[in-house]
Order: sequence, then C-alpha cells, then structure tokens
Amino acid sequence: MLIFFLFTCLSFILFLKSLPLKSLPAWASEMTLLSPWSYQEFFAFRTSSLMNSFGRSCIPLTRSKMSINNSNLSSRVDNVETGEMSVLDLPDLVLECILERLPPAELFSMAGVCSYLRNRCISDHLWESHMKQKWGRVIGPAAYREWKRYIASRREICNLKQGKQKGLVRLLFAIWPLSWTKSKLDNSEKQRIPPPADSIMSWYLALETGKFCFPAQVYNRENGHVGFMLSCYDAKLSYDSRTDTFQARYPPHGRRAGAIESNVTWDRLRAQPVDTPPHDLHISDCLNDLQPGDHIEIQWRRNKEFPYGWWYGVVGHLESCDGNVNYCRCHNSGTVILEFRQYAPGSRWRHTAINRRNHGEEGNEADGFYGGIRKLKNEREISMWKILWPTEVLE
Amino acid sequence: MASSRKITLRSSDGESFEVEEAVAVESQTIKHMIEDDCADNAIPLPNVTSKILAKVIEYCKKHVDASKAEDRVNDEDLKAWDAAFIKVDQVDQATLFDLILAANYLNIKSLLDLTCQTVADMIKGNLFPVRNEWLNFTFSIANRELVLVCLTEWVAHRRLFCS
Repeated sequence: MLIFFLFTCLSFILFLKSLPLKSLPAWASEMTLLSPWSYQEFFAFRTSSLMNSFGRSCIPLTRSKMSINNSNLSSRVDNVETGEMSVLDLPDLVLECILERLPPAELFSMAGVCSYLRNRCISDHLWESHMKQKWGRVIGPAAYREWKRYIASRREICNLKQGKQKGLVRLLFAIWPLSWTKSKLDNSEKQRIPPPADSIMSWYLALETGKFCFPAQVYNRENGHVGFMLSCYDAKLSYDSRTDTFQARYPPHGRRAGAIESNVTWDRLRAQPVDTPPHDLHISDCLNDLQPGDHIEIQWRRNKEFPYGWWYGVVGHLESCDGNVNYCRCHNSGTVILEFRQYAPGSRWRHTAINRRNHGEEGNEADGFYGGIRKLKNEREISMWKILWPTEVLE
Repeated sequence: MASSRKITLRSSDGESFEVEEAVAVESQTIKHMIEDDCADNAIPLPNVTSKILAKVIEYCKKHVDASKAEDRVNDEDLKAWDAAFIKVDQVDQATLFDLILAANYLNIKSLLDLTCQTVADMIKGNLFPVRNEWLNFTFSIANRELVLVCLTEWVAHRRLFCS
C-alpha cells in the first residue's frame, strides 16, 4: 500500500516536471497574436521584454492580486523613490483622457508596463477609434466574419492541445483522487483564454502584423493590367507595416492558379460594398431607377468558372434617342444601355444592353457574362473610378 | 455692459484670489457652487494650492478674454499661447500633474484636454526609456514586484496543473 503510494508520488512529480513545457506553447500560441510587433521601440526595451513575456503569461492569473496591490504599489514606490507622483496616481477619468490621446504603438507599449495599465489599455473603446481611423475604409462585415472564424479556429486548435493534456491529468487524478486540485483546474479554465484574443486590440494587432488576411476588393488588379482596367476584384489582403502596403491574393481563375500581387497601396483598396460573394450573382434592386447618366457597377466574368469582378460603366441613351434631355424617354424603356467609355467607340466592350424587367446573368463565351448591377450614389465612389481612368483609350 | 461680480477663491494654503465671475465660471465646479448660492463668501478650494490656482486663473482669464475680444483673437494665436503656457521647461512635472488634478477637480474641460494632450505627447516623445523622470513610472521597482508575484504564482500553479 505504502509502496503504491510512493510510486504514484514519484510518477506525479515526474509528470509535474514535464507538464509546464507542454502548457506554455498552448498559451504562447494564443499570445502570438500579440507578440510579433515590429516596432523597434518595443524591441529596444530589452530590460522589459523578458518581464513582459513573463508578465503577459502571468497577468491574467495575477490580475485580482495586482489591482488590490496597485495603490499600495505606487505608495510603496513613492517612499522608495523621490516621493513624486506618477501617472498611475492620477484619477481614472484623467488617465482615460490621456490614454485616448495616445497613438496605437504607445498604447500597446503602455499595456506592457504593469497589470493595472494593461487592463486599462486593452479596453475595446480605445482601440475602436484606432481601428476606424486606420482600417475603417477597407474593413467591412465580410472581414469581420472572417476574423470571427479565424479566432474560433485558433481557439479550437488551442483547446485540442490543452484537451490532450487534461486527459492525461484526469487519468492521474483517477489514480490519486485530489478533488480540491480538480476544482482549481476547472476554475482556471475561465482564465485560460486570455481576454485580448477576442478584443478589438487583438484584431488591430493581427491586421498590423499581417497575420490575419482579410477579404477586400482591389481596383485595377495586377498593377493596372490592361485586361482589368476600371474593374474591382475580390482578394485576400495581408498588410506589411514596413512598406505600408498590402499583398493581395486573388482567387484562382478556373484552372489557372490564383495570382499574387505585392505592394498594393491603400488607395487601390475598398471593403466589399455589397454582401455578395464573388462567385454569386448579385440581385439587382436598382433596375427601375436607372436613367441615362447614372453611374453603375456591373458584375462581369469571362466564363462561368471564374469569379465576378465589378466593372464601372455609365447608363447611356438608346440608339433611337438623340440625347436631348427634354425628349428622352429612355427611362421608360424595357432595355437599358450601359456604356463603358474607357473603350474605343468601335470596341465590342463599349456597349451592352440589359433587360430592365428581367435581368439575370446574360452573355456568352465570347463576350463574357454580365451579372448583377449596382447603382453608384456615393460621390466618393464615383470620383474613385474617375481617378483611376486609364490614360489611353482601350480596345 | 453689466458689471461683472467679483468672486473670491481661497486656495488650500489660505491665499485669496479675486476674479471676475466670467473667469471663475470657466470652472464648472465653481459655476455650480455659484448657482447653488454657496458663493457669498470666499469659495474654498481645499485641493488647489495658491501656486496652481494662480496658473489656473491665468489660463481662464486668457481664454475668457480671447472669446470676448472685439477683434476675434485668432485660433492659432490662442493655440500658440496654450503651447507656451504648458511648455515643458516652464512647467515642471509636479506642476503639470498638479494642474491636471486641479483641472479635473475644478472641471475645466479645455485645461484638462490641454494637460492630458501634453502628457500623451510626452509619452509619445520618450518611448519608454527605463527611468524617465518625467513619466516617473518608477518602472524598475514595479518590475521587481511584478516579477516576484509572477514567479510565485507560476510556481504555485505549476503544482496545480494549471496552464
């Protein structure tokens, strides 16, 4: 009986020694969302970098303890140092006021100072304004859904690894029942997933470091390739903070592999304006409103295997109409003429006609397939297309 | 033009300052006290020393004059005055913090914004040298405490199989 007891003790202790090595990577994989921050200042702070990696893995566990000690800490600190005030002594509202005015890099650094500041600096409302300011134009609902999927899948991977450990641990408990330690294990589950993984700060950092590839649309893809002028295609983008540009991955065109384009600048990007995936037909709801002079975007693809791109055009007059505003009855007609004025007048891409009453996907293998239409009401969108107008007329 | 009432403010060290009502009500706190009729005698400000109160009054006077002026003082000029008022070599760290606390207590939004922006700029400018006397995080001490706490927790939780 005693020998059995000693044996389980020994195996217990041996298991103990091996366990933390497995537990840290699971934790660290969650932390990689936060760690590879490329600002030199952060890495230059060598004295704290070791403390930070320690502190970050410990801080959720020590949060309650630190917040109680916070006031003691600063007063203890005062006695030891010159007795002057520190920023930590300022009232909450004032500290909030200061933190709101910090740019993202500094806010991130402040989060590494102590656990009290960490709790203040990771709060969503501070990072929300930074998100909107920098990423608001290119991040849309599709990107947000993609982000949710991304963190859910990472959490699954994390849980899988930890689940294996837990299984072994539970087996050991069966040999040596310690119900009090088991309850401690259950309690720590709540703290196991660190708060930032789900937060806007984590999202911001994942975007900045390029770890998270988000869906958006690129104007004039492949460096203004002539076959794609004045079009906008869906792509997965990842950010490079050193060059302040993106790398775009386009979905494959049929059997042709997906293209990759580097150094895409901010001005060539936009969030998806409608929630239609690139292979799906957009349901047009503006057909009855279309009048000559309206700016539109229409889906078009070469053949049915390819994803749609959005192409810019203008509603034109019917052939029978002479363009006189007073006598124009084009908006009553069942046919709508779309003009793509970037092409030369004789070109087959210059015009297309669509049926106002009943428009679905139309076309053929030679001229490609025209899909859903979107009317442009926003001046900014229209001027964006005008800025990208090609210098030469296309064929 | 109605002659404005004079309000007396008394600092924590007993010094009295007489200011026009228009200047005094830049502070929302004082404004509410006046509205609640507590201002017949001197208004005591136990949280503000005379040195700081003098500076706060100087700030409020300037801003009241700027908004009243017939010839519409230029926004740029006022900003330049603010910058000079709060300039780092004019105002040492202790004074800056006292100004922040006074602006917070007296509820003077524009002064609070100005001082908080100054601190934010200081943080931006001195991105974490370990001992920054301006920021005064006394980081070395905090560090040691934190490391100790973390170590004990880590050891404790190791034994309890928590990751």
